[in-house]
Amino acid sequence: MSQILLISGPPGCGKTAWILKHFQAHLGPCGYLRLPGFADEGLQHAEDGGLDQAFLCDQCPELMDLADQDVSLASHATNLLACLEIPQFHHPAESGLAGIDRRLIPQLAALQLMPQCHLHFGRDNELPQQDTLEFSALEHHSLPLNGAVWDPDSLSSFWFELVNGAYGDIFRAKAHVNLPDGRGFLFNWIVSQEGSQFLPLLELESPHGRPTRLSRLVVQGKQLQLNQIQNTINDCLLSDAALELQQGPLRQQQQLPTPSP
Amino acid sequence: MAIAVLSCLHANLAAVEAVLADIDQLGLDTIICLGDLVGYGPQPNEVVELVRERGIPSCQGCWDEDIIEGLDACDCSYPSQLAERRGQLAHHWTASQLKAENRDFLAGLPFSLRRGRLLFVHGSPNSQHEYLLPDMNAFTALERVDSAEADTLLCGHTHRPYVRRLNHGSIRVRVQKPAGAATSSSNLASSEHQLDLPLRRLINAGSVGEPRHGSTKATYITVDEDHDAVEIREVSYDVERTCQAILNAGLPPIFSWRLRHGFEYAERADDAAHVCER
Repeated sequence: MSQILLISGPPGCGKTAWILKHFQAHLGPCGYLRLPGFADEGLQHAEDGGLDQAFLCDQCPELMDLADQDVSLASHATNLLACLEIPQFHHPAESGLAGIDRRLIPQLAALQLMPQCHLHFGRDNELPQQDTLEFSALEHHSLPLNGAVWDPDSLSSFWFELVNGAYGDIFRAKAHVNLPDGRGFLFNWIVSQEGSQFLPLLELESPHGRPTRLSRLVVQGKQLQLNQIQNTINDCLLSDAALELQQGPLRQQQQLPTPSP
Repeated sequence: MAIAVLSCLHANLAAVEAVLADIDQLGLDTIICLGDLVGYGPQPNEVVELVRERGIPSCQGCWDEDIIEGLDACDCSYPSQLAERRGQLAHHWTASQLKAENRDFLAGLPFSLRRGRLLFVHGSPNSQHEYLLPDMNAFTALERVDSAEADTLLCGHTHRPYVRRLNHGSIRVRVQKPAGAATSSSNLASSEHQLDLPLRRLINAGSVGEPRHGSTKATYITVDEDHDAVEIREVSYDVERTCQAILNAGLPPIFSWRLRHGFEYAERADDAAHVCER
């Protein structure tokens, strides 16, 4: 028997972390769908450029993408745990399934994913109570970093400056970043919680040039100095020559062939 | 007689003025500067001219040397690509601003100054770029002081003030003679020598213009030679004045942010034993 959960809440409340924890504890197949929410809530602040989905897919390699119609049809597989995540600032008017935003029903019906349970952060006790922020008044910026590789020490300095307010009044920062040795990390920080999360991605890329995985920085805040952020990032990213200088010795250590030019 | 020792002014005029005022208030006439008059900060000419006007004897720091010798006289001390880019930017800006007479003054600064058994250097007796950190290996610290034929080595460069006493130091050397000189065919003759060293001191003056000790206050030290006393002094200054000067000069706003929060403009290299191999 499958179980379909709808998890809603504002950005930064811990939806993805809660879902990952339950996927990892579940013995059967798992499926995930991130719904975009509705524009009247200012949900551009919740747009993450696919970071959450990419992170869950990395941590749960067999995770089913429920946005895929073919997969969705198979969602009634035995013991499937399906989590539908939706950013939602406002508290549902009613408890339980009756609190689902009416506008969602046609979408869910089309995907044959009608939830048996709806949990909302800040309302339901099954979910951790965390201090969440009013994001609707914040700027939102999403900086693509696909193919970019960071100098590790520079990345450390940049992140420190970013989350300590060097580039404006920062409220939230989240990024997938690539290091020269093929490792990738999810960096995650929110102003209401102490410290940053630095979570390693399970998938390693070989040290042959630039990685292909999704990479992006998403920031929310006030009076953010985007040009300065971008300029600092540019000073932190490795050129092709600098990248090869770091990857060459790694390939030798791992006895990997050198790529042809 | 007490003297004041300051280091790493880094073109921060408000900080230098505040420290000199504090020294004047203490009634100290002898001041020695351990270099890095320029670099990162927004007022290189003003700071050099103030040091010249006051006739303060100075050593040449790594930034002073780099401005004379060209970009990256030592480029191996940056801990990250970001720090290196910022350092290069600051170098080009400083080089473009510095008047010829001030450049000549920096070029003429000596590598070290000596006052009796006190030796004054910027980094270490080996290099303006070497960091003598407070927790460095004791043997290395002792070697740096003793090889300079000093009882007390006064340095800067790390931007962290400290006084380290090296008590009961000794160097033991075993000399092994070549086989031909041995008295026995089976054993090599050897002799052992032990040199007991008197107390040595390693004193770091911290930084006037770019503190790195967890506070925004400028630091310097006073040394009372008669009473064998050293005091680390912290001086408040108008940080906002320098931050505004950074912005007015067109230097990166991140320099202003870092100074205001008590972070150095760019991180130092972590290797305490780092010695430039130029």
